[in-house]
Amino acid sequence: MDTEAVKKELLYLYCVTKDKPSSYNFEDLGIKTHPIYFQGTYAVVSKVSPDDFSEENLKKNLADMGWVEKNTRLHEKVIEEIMRDHAVLPFKFGTVFEKETNVEKLLRENNLEFKAVLAGLDGKEEWGLKIYCDSEYFKDALCRENERIKEKDKEITSAGKGKAYFLKKKKDEIIKDIINEKISEYTKDCFERLKITAVDTRINKILPKEVTEKKEDMVLNAVFLINNKRIKEFESVLAYLKTKYTDKGLIFDCTGPWPPYNFCGLLKGKIHNG
Amino acid sequence: MDSPIKILQDKNSYLDLRKQERVTLLEVLDRALEKGVVISGDIVISVADVDLVYLGLKVLLSSVETMERLRGAPLSGAAEEPT
Repeated sequence: MDTEAVKKELLYLYCVTKDKPSSYNFEDLGIKTHPIYFQGTYAVVSKVSPDDFSEENLKKNLADMGWVEKNTRLHEKVIEEIMRDHAVLPFKFGTVFEKETNVEKLLRENNLEFKAVLAGLDGKEEWGLKIYCDSEYFKDALCRENERIKEKDKEITSAGKGKAYFLKKKKDEIIKDIINEKISEYTKDCFERLKITAVDTRINKILPKEVTEKKEDMVLNAVFLINNKRIKEFESVLAYLKTKYTDKGLIFDCTGPWPPYNFCGLLKGKIHNG
Repeated sequence: MDSPIKILQDKNSYLDLRKQERVTLLEVLDRALEKGVVISGDIVISVADVDLVYLGLKVLLSSVETMERLRGAPLSGAAEEPT
């Protein structure tokens, strides 16, 4: 045990709800939360140690991937548990307060906005779709089918040595262009078709291979807010797209339902999503 | 505790939504660190701090050995490298 008399505990904020959370003690996770109430909104918080989350220690801990993994997963799991029964407004990882009155102040100052955003999120789920492209496979499939490329191949076979070299270079350029063109055409089709089933959508930045740990390139990173009555529709469009594009070299990675991290932007006037 | 998050991976799994699979750390970081309500608490993580985490993740994924080394030492040297 710590010998320092009393280390001041901090309050970690997971999410805000409009109903009183029905579960709060997550024994499996070793986390006991409690709600802080203000006029129709509840902040779900738990006590955390300054060893983990004081300003100084937090900075240090963020450099430790083991700590980051453990604690971001806990953050996520607590919100997922609460999300089973309630619409949630998930907060960014590492939002920490020194005392309860500061959390109350947050609820007070954002009362109407929190309520409006929560009302908009009620009965909706966030689903993520990352599409990857197997470039080699894609290229092979393209070279077999594309007329422009086949034509170039014919030219190369019938050309003299010097000219063939030049034509090959030209062909590679054409292939590159067509690949880009096709990928953007396919991903646009996927996004637009799924968008029809969604209440709201976001396109996020493409993550590099070093981070995704995949040999394929990420070509779309999108999120969809889906009314839970239309999930089946979303799924069947996704199944259709998989059938349509898997043979062409696209790989679909769809996950959900997530807490609506991507749809809780508190921008004035932009909080109503149908 | 089982996570309610599902992964729809193979062609037929849309019929089996409730299938449990491990959600990658990347998916969690991509959301919990980058998204969610950002309102200044008394203590918050800055954008620069988030970059550090990604740098850490990159190092972790590319080499466990390097990470072991870095765990014992501050990341400050590596942080100067733009991501």
